[in-house]
Amino acid sequence: MAKVQLTIDGRTVEAEEGAMLLQVARDAGADIPSLCHNDEIKPYGACRMCMVEVEEHGRKRLVTSCTYPVKEGISVTTQSDRIFRNRKMIVELLLARCYKVPEVREMARNYGIEVENPRFETREDTCILCGMCVRVCDEVVGVHAIGFAGRGPDRVPTPPFKEPSELCIACGACVYVCPVDAIKMVQTPEARTIKRWQRTLPMKVCKICGEPFMPEYQIEYFTKRAKIPEDFFEVCPNCR
Amino acid sequence: MENFNVYAVRLLPKGEYIAPGHRACQGCAEVLAVRLVGKALGRNTVIACATGCMEIISSPLPTTSWRVPWIHVAFENAAAVASGVEAGLKVLMRKGRIPKKKINVLAMAGDGGTSDIGLQALSGALERGHNMIYVCYDNEAYMNTGIQRSSSTPFGAATTTSPAGKVKPGQVTWKKNMPEIAVAHNIPYVATACPSYPFDLMEKVKKAAEVEGPAYIHILSVCPTGWRLAPDLAIRAGRLAVETGIFPLYEVENGKYSLSVEIPKRRPVEDYLKIQGRFRHLTPDLIQKIQEHVDKKYNNLLAKVRFSEEMS
Repeated sequence: MAKVQLTIDGRTVEAEEGAMLLQVARDAGADIPSLCHNDEIKPYGACRMCMVEVEEHGRKRLVTSCTYPVKEGISVTTQSDRIFRNRKMIVELLLARCYKVPEVREMARNYGIEVENPRFETREDTCILCGMCVRVCDEVVGVHAIGFAGRGPDRVPTPPFKEPSELCIACGACVYVCPVDAIKMVQTPEARTIKRWQRTLPMKVCKICGEPFMPEYQIEYFTKRAKIPEDFFEVCPNCR
Repeated sequence: MENFNVYAVRLLPKGEYIAPGHRACQGCAEVLAVRLVGKALGRNTVIACATGCMEIISSPLPTTSWRVPWIHVAFENAAAVASGVEAGLKVLMRKGRIPKKKINVLAMAGDGGTSDIGLQALSGALERGHNMIYVCYDNEAYMNTGIQRSSSTPFGAATTTSPAGKVKPGQVTWKKNMPEIAVAHNIPYVATACPSYPFDLMEKVKKAAEVEGPAYIHILSVCPTGWRLAPDLAIRAGRLAVETGIFPLYEVENGKYSLSVEIPKRRPVEDYLKIQGRFRHLTPDLIQKIQEHVDKKYNNLLAKVRFSEEMS
C-alpha cells in the first residue's frame, strides 16, 4: 500500500492510503470522541462527534474524521474552539432528544451544558439514532433483523413493520454495541428477551446438568448456517 | 450481567496492549485477563507491575510485550509506585507541563504481591485515596517460582510447600478474603472478576477507571500449570469456580453489594475440584467440609447483597 504524509496537531504522521482519519489520528495519540464508530463495521458518519478541522490548499473546514480518507499533505487539528463549539451543539441537541438518558446527561455535563436548564424543548427518547444496532445486525451478525423506519423526527430502528421480530436470534450484539444502553436484554432461566425488538426465545436446557445455556432458535440458526451436527448443542459448554 | 456469547466478541476494541509472543504457559488465563484489562483501559494507561508471573513472561531482557508505559517494581510496592505515578501526573498537569487528559494509572500484582507481600503498600494507597486502579491477578499460589502456597491458596490445595500427604490434606487454612479487606477501606469501587466472563471483566475495569478514587479488582486467573489442569480446561475451570459459588462475581460500589452473575442453582463444588490435580487427594468428607464452607460464605454474601438492596 502507498503511504501518505499528513500533519496531525503539528506532528507529521505517515499513514496508509485509504485509511480513515479517525483511526490514524487516534493512533497518533489524539483524543477524539465518537458514538457511532466501531472498527468492525463500516464508517457511517451519523453522530458527527468525531469532527475535526482539515486544512487543505489553505482552506480550513470541518469534516467527520470517521468517513474521511487521509490525503497527502493535509493538516489536521483535533482540538480547537470551533470544534468544541460544534461538538457542544451536537450534545445539546442529543440532550434535547434524550433528556433522561444518563450517558447523554454525563456527556452534556462534560461539555459544560446546564443539564437542569436545557436550551431546547426536551423529549424523552432513549435512542440517539447512531445506527449501530442496525449496522451490526446486518454486517457482523448477518441476520438483518432490524432496520430504520420513518423519517425525520419519527425515525426509529425497528424490526419490519414495527411488529415483533421473527428473525432476531437474541445474540445481544446490538445490546452490547449501543452507546446509550437503549436496548435491554432480560435473561431468566426459561427465556431470553430483547425488549426493544419484542423478541422472546425459550432457552435450551443442557441434557447432562440441566442448566439453560442458549436460546433454542439461536441453536437452530447456527446448526443450519455452520452445518454443525445436530446433537452438538445437546450439552452445554461445561459438560461437553 | 448479559450473556453476549456469540457476535459481540468481534465488536471489542481492536487495540492490543500486551503483544503476542510472550512466555506465558499454554492455557494461561492470567495473561488473558491482562489482555482484557488492557483492551478495556486503552492506550492512555501507565502500569506499575509487581514481581510475579506477568513480569517474568512479558519482559525477558531485552524484549518487552508492553505497548503502554510499564514499570517493573519490587514485589511489595506496586500500589505505592502507582500512587506516586498518579500524584506526579496530577502535579505535571496542574503545572501545565503535559496536556490535561485522562490517564489511567494501573497497579497490577499477583495474589502473593497483593495479599501477602504487597498488603501494606496497597492498604496505604487505598487509604490515601489515589485515583488509581489496583488489579490483583489471583492464581492462588506463587506460580512463577514453582507453586509455593500463599495466603490466597484455598483449603485442601496441594502445593510444593503445602504438599498433601497422610497427615495433612495440603493447604490447611482457608483462602484470605482480599476483596473484603479492600471493601473495609471504604473505597468507591471493589469488584471480583474472572476472564471466563470477559465482558463482565471489561465492564468492571471500565467502571473502575471512571470512578474518582481508588478501585480494586480481584481477578481469579486459572493457572493450568499450578492447578494441575489440562490447558484447554482453563476457561471452564473459571466458569465452574463461579457456578459452584467458590468465587462469586460481585461488585461493591460505595459499600453497596450487588451480584454480577446470579446463579439460581449452584453446582456442587466437586465439579470444580475433580478436574484439578491439586485437589486429587481430597476425600469425600473433606469435599463435604469445603462445600459447607462455600455455602456459608455464599450465603453471607447473599445476605450482604439483600441488605444493600433493602437499604437503597
